[in-house]
Amino acid sequence: MDELLAIQVNLVKKFPQLVGKTRTPRVRRIFADVAIQDLGVIFDYVVKDLRFSILCTITGLDQGNKLGVIYHLARESGVTLNLCSAVPKDDPTLQTVTGYFPAAELYEREMADLLGMKVQGLPQGPRYPLPDDWPQGQYPLRKDWKPTPSQADPAGQGEQNHA
Amino acid sequence: MALINRIVTWARVRSPWILHFNTGACNACDIEIIAALTPQYDLERFGVLLKGTPRHADVLLCSGPVTRQIKDCLVRIYEQMPQPKFVVAVGTCACSGGVFKGCYNVTGGIDTMLPVSAYIPGCPASPTAIIDGVVKLLRSLEQSEQQSKSAVGV
Amino acid sequence: MHEPENFQILIGPQHPALKEPTSFTLTLQGEKILQMGVRLGYNHRGIEKACEDRTYVQGLYLIERICGICSHSHSTAFVQAVEEIAAFQVPKRAQYIRTLVAELERVHSHLLWLGVAGHEIGFDTLLMYTWRDREIVMDLLAMLTGNRVNYGINTYGGVRRDITTEQKQEVLKGIDALEERTKYYVQVASEEITLINRLSGVGVLARDDALRLGAVGPTARACGVKRDIRKDDPYAAYGEIPFDVVTSDRSDVYGRTLVRLGELMESYKIVRHVIHNLPDGPIAVKASRKVPSGEALSRYEAPRGENVHYVRANGTDKPERVKVRAPTLANVQAVAHMLKDRYLADMPIVVAAIDPCFSCTDRLIAVADGGPGRPDIITWEQVRQHGVEWHRRHGIDFTELNRTFRCGESK
Repeated sequence: MDELLAIQVNLVKKFPQLVGKTRTPRVRRIFADVAIQDLGVIFDYVVKDLRFSILCTITGLDQGNKLGVIYHLARESGVTLNLCSAVPKDDPTLQTVTGYFPAAELYEREMADLLGMKVQGLPQGPRYPLPDDWPQGQYPLRKDWKPTPSQADPAGQGEQNHA
Repeated sequence: MALINRIVTWARVRSPWILHFNTGACNACDIEIIAALTPQYDLERFGVLLKGTPRHADVLLCSGPVTRQIKDCLVRIYEQMPQPKFVVAVGTCACSGGVFKGCYNVTGGIDTMLPVSAYIPGCPASPTAIIDGVVKLLRSLEQSEQQSKSAVGV
Repeated sequence: MHEPENFQILIGPQHPALKEPTSFTLTLQGEKILQMGVRLGYNHRGIEKACEDRTYVQGLYLIERICGICSHSHSTAFVQAVEEIAAFQVPKRAQYIRTLVAELERVHSHLLWLGVAGHEIGFDTLLMYTWRDREIVMDLLAMLTGNRVNYGINTYGGVRRDITTEQKQEVLKGIDALEERTKYYVQVASEEITLINRLSGVGVLARDDALRLGAVGPTARACGVKRDIRKDDPYAAYGEIPFDVVTSDRSDVYGRTLVRLGELMESYKIVRHVIHNLPDGPIAVKASRKVPSGEALSRYEAPRGENVHYVRANGTDKPERVKVRAPTLANVQAVAHMLKDRYLADMPIVVAAIDPCFSCTDRLIAVADGGPGRPDIITWEQVRQHGVEWHRRHGIDFTELNRTFRCGESK
């Protein structure tokens, strides 16, 4: 059986709620829409049982009244499984996956800084990628974010230049 | 005082010491600056020396659009340089912000933070353009030295 | 007698060796690094946000400038994602030309790395020779694309420039010369005791740690991890081109050196194959300005490792979301791990050995000291010189080799 099909069949057998929620737009690509309450157990399964042992990255998105998250996982064979979920914007809480992938720390901090995602269980550490003096509550990747006058002009020069 | 100035200018024109600083660049200009120092282009034949510290530098070669995180550091480095000092903006980003102008973490070109003596455009600025720009700066120093010479009737 | 105490040194953000502002904070006990912290962000320019406000065409030129060493990797990864969403059928000839530029980029990047690595350990003659040879490939890239960097060869649906018969011959000539020179570097790397001693047993990363920490590229392949996107998840023309994935079981900086040298030789093979098997046909198909709703994950084996782009389209001429994960980001944790309990004198080469493109990942490394010491701020150059001196005192001295090393002088 084709590898992609085998993975899909396996997933919906184990998690019937995924019926109709998976798609394979091309070779070596599966996308699955996962409800946030199922994310933990499905993530555990695909990493441990389905051997998606590579975390390519984590994408955060502003989806209006939700913050989307996509975990881009891959296998040795080159197949990637993209787990898409979302959390409500007024309480955008996610659990860290650094227990599975230590490298996730930077991807999760990025979502926290740029989108305001609240990732629980992150170890202590400096923020990334924004500077320490970045104002609270300003999340540049949110769709409604526009730089404040001082952010639009971080040099504080107005229209002047030194030259 | 005039004699000291002329000696310092002479020394600077003959062998300017350069500090290279990246203010958030993609690296392309930085690589081309270093390439300008390798044998094929050999900026050192003009007596230019790359130094690691601002305290010994005459010329600050800057690449990159200035990011928020780096702008204070850029100014600090400039302040540590002894007078007389000159700033050269290498690459389109350093000249004006380039493709990054308008990005939220970027101020724009180097001249949003410091006075710039020479602009070397290019994306990236090629090693030959960099040499051309640095030599032009040196020539302009030489010319202002000549002018002050003739001003005092030497 | 001076008691080794824990003290903290901050390195950066003025960082000549890495050519970008980064910040490293090291916790030291005497000469040993107890811990290394990384503070990234100095190169954060807000590119992903900027893409949402720009058309796909404008975005392409921005994305290409994420990194000035592997610009084609970002440009191609991005273009591939968009082409997948919009179902543009890129002609074979264009895929081959993209592959040609990709491998020439790998060559320039690895030669650049060799020189930088030489500089980090005090073998500056190597820097001069490799960067001189690198000019051969820079000239080829400029001939083919019009620029030494930021080639602008990609367009949606294909490439913007074709390759002439004369240019093909020039490429083959250039590759012949480069292969000759590279063989010499391979020889030096396998026979020069000073170099072998300096790089061996340094920056060790066990295979299990490489896997656990998510290392990519030559850094991972030097730990015996046989992963290469060109083979595992082929793109452009790689599915049709025979080549070997180079690995080493050494797990140290010397292994990373051997892997990159091996990859250079493989790149020359790939380039020749592309030139000799370049399919006829158009170099691009017409591409619409608007991209239908959809999403795609694009993976590319950049010189430093796996480059990942995710694009979501919304039916307009501007993307809904662009996400970039450049390879160095994946290697940062591995580097911090490699330097634990290692000597300060080894820091420059160990960091350099992941071939960090901090511009891609916009990182700043800070090393924090935990002990009752006094904070010290030194520059990277000072650490580099310290490293060269320290190793000189311990019997590894490049003075003589700098004097005598010659490469291809008879040509």
